[in-house]
Amino acid sequence: MKILGAAVGVFLLLAPWLLPKLVPPFWVSILAEIMIWGLLASSANLLLGYTGLLSFGQSLYFGFGAYGVAFGITRLGLGIVPSLVFAAATATLAAAVAGFFAVRLTWHYFAIITVVFSLIFYLVAVGWKSFTGGDDGLSFALPPLGRLGDTELTLLDPTFQYYFIFAVVAACYLMQWMVLRSPLGVAFTAVRENATRAGLVGLNPYLIRLASFVFAGFLAGVSGALFALFSRYASAQYMFWTVSGEAVIWTIVGGTGTLFGPAIGAALLILVREELSVYWEHYLIAVGVIVILVVTFVPKGIVGSLQAKWGPRR
Amino acid sequence: MSAPILSVRGLTRKFGGLTAVNNVDFELPAGELHAIIGPNGAGKTTFFNVVSGFLRPSAGRVEFNGEDITGWATHRISRRGMARTLQIKSVFNGLTVYDNVWIAAHARNRFLHPLRAARNYRDSANVAGEALQAVGLAERARELAGNLAYGDVALLEIAIAIAMRPRLLLLDEPVAGMSPEETERTVSKIKELSGRVNILLIEHDVEAVFKIADRITVMNQGAILCQGTAASVAADPRVQEAYLGVPVEAAGSADA
Repeated sequence: MKILGAAVGVFLLLAPWLLPKLVPPFWVSILAEIMIWGLLASSANLLLGYTGLLSFGQSLYFGFGAYGVAFGITRLGLGIVPSLVFAAATATLAAAVAGFFAVRLTWHYFAIITVVFSLIFYLVAVGWKSFTGGDDGLSFALPPLGRLGDTELTLLDPTFQYYFIFAVVAACYLMQWMVLRSPLGVAFTAVRENATRAGLVGLNPYLIRLASFVFAGFLAGVSGALFALFSRYASAQYMFWTVSGEAVIWTIVGGTGTLFGPAIGAALLILVREELSVYWEHYLIAVGVIVILVVTFVPKGIVGSLQAKWGPRR
Repeated sequence: MSAPILSVRGLTRKFGGLTAVNNVDFELPAGELHAIIGPNGAGKTTFFNVVSGFLRPSAGRVEFNGEDITGWATHRISRRGMARTLQIKSVFNGLTVYDNVWIAAHARNRFLHPLRAARNYRDSANVAGEALQAVGLAERARELAGNLAYGDVALLEIAIAIAMRPRLLLLDEPVAGMSPEETERTVSKIKELSGRVNILLIEHDVEAVFKIADRITVMNQGAILCQGTAASVAADPRVQEAYLGVPVEAAGSADA
């Protein structure tokens, strides 16, 4: 399992150099995009897999992150890194406000309220065209990032952009890994397993769920911000709850409650989409079949099953 | 004896038209192993649920260690030092046996560090290890709690309670559903523990209760029927009538 993980890590590190030798160079950008969506999936997974909360609303914080970048660059005149920080902070704050209400509920009630929140903001974003650009989105030009010696650092260079996204995503995973092995992370899983017992040992399930929700909002926000930088625009369509639903599906296919499973699920299903949608407009049927097969025969997901087979438990 | 560890005044809990606990006064002196017995529906578990914060009382007050805790949330009461096991055994199934007790030992820290590795907390680790040792589950620390046999789950639940370093331990039918061997093992653990912590337990197994309890309270129809030593309770005709239906001659004689 460790060897497999290391191999994927090395591949990701060398991809901008390796991929163009094997496939057309735009695959570097596709891989970068997969990492971004994988981060969104890991946000849904933090809630579902570790804290036991099924959220269909992570696209809302993704949207906050995307608009945070667009707003930061176009209105506040921020550079790339400050706008990224601004966007993550905005999404985190939005998650704190929504979470204050949402995590009072659990299970289907929680799932429904997350959908409702994201629908409200989606409709606001679509309606408020002067500010958000609605469905058309809000385009912007990338500000310069800085210089390294004589070279201008710019996200317009696919290789640099890839490494920029890779570094931010990797930092987010490092943070997740640290949180999950911390006392707070153990408390997440305790609340997931048995909230009543968690209360009886002196944990406050509400606060622990809130902490998880806010952290998940942060992760979704960062992925939305990266996506805006990557595609040079923010759009209300990515706030729609079906985007959150995709994140949940990627999570389940890749392995709920595993650190990298959701990203693997995202990679697999995005590749299916990229490859199949060219030939067949009803490719979603294939996605549906894959999901049904996984849920029925490999309920732990891809990474979850591999871990059960080869890896130690923790 | 010092001040009572638990003091309940006029406690009432109604469910619609049903009064499950009716104006109960109860005092538990520190250092006592006390058992509450009574027929099904006597209100024992409801009494526990109100005391431990699962339910709000309809009337009355609960004082724990001299502090009014009436209507507090469960986790607040737990942090003050009241631990509880449940009638339907309840642990963290998907966590390892070790993590079950570790989180219980660590939860007394109000601040849960989000970035420092959990295994670096030596104090919580020591407490968790001792708690597992105390119930004899140390060898199974790495197993998933969900894979344990029923009797071991009950012991794990007790270990979780011990790891909280409580002042008062509420045990809700600790030996229900256990085999005779498991019962014997658990009863001796409880007796052993009672030297270190105040224990209040509910039990159906009269034989087990009579063996270990310092004093016994009999509940019937939401109220306290009588209180006293095993011998005096067993001799009380009201108890025989209300609870047992058949006479109990002496402690340990019934083939329950």
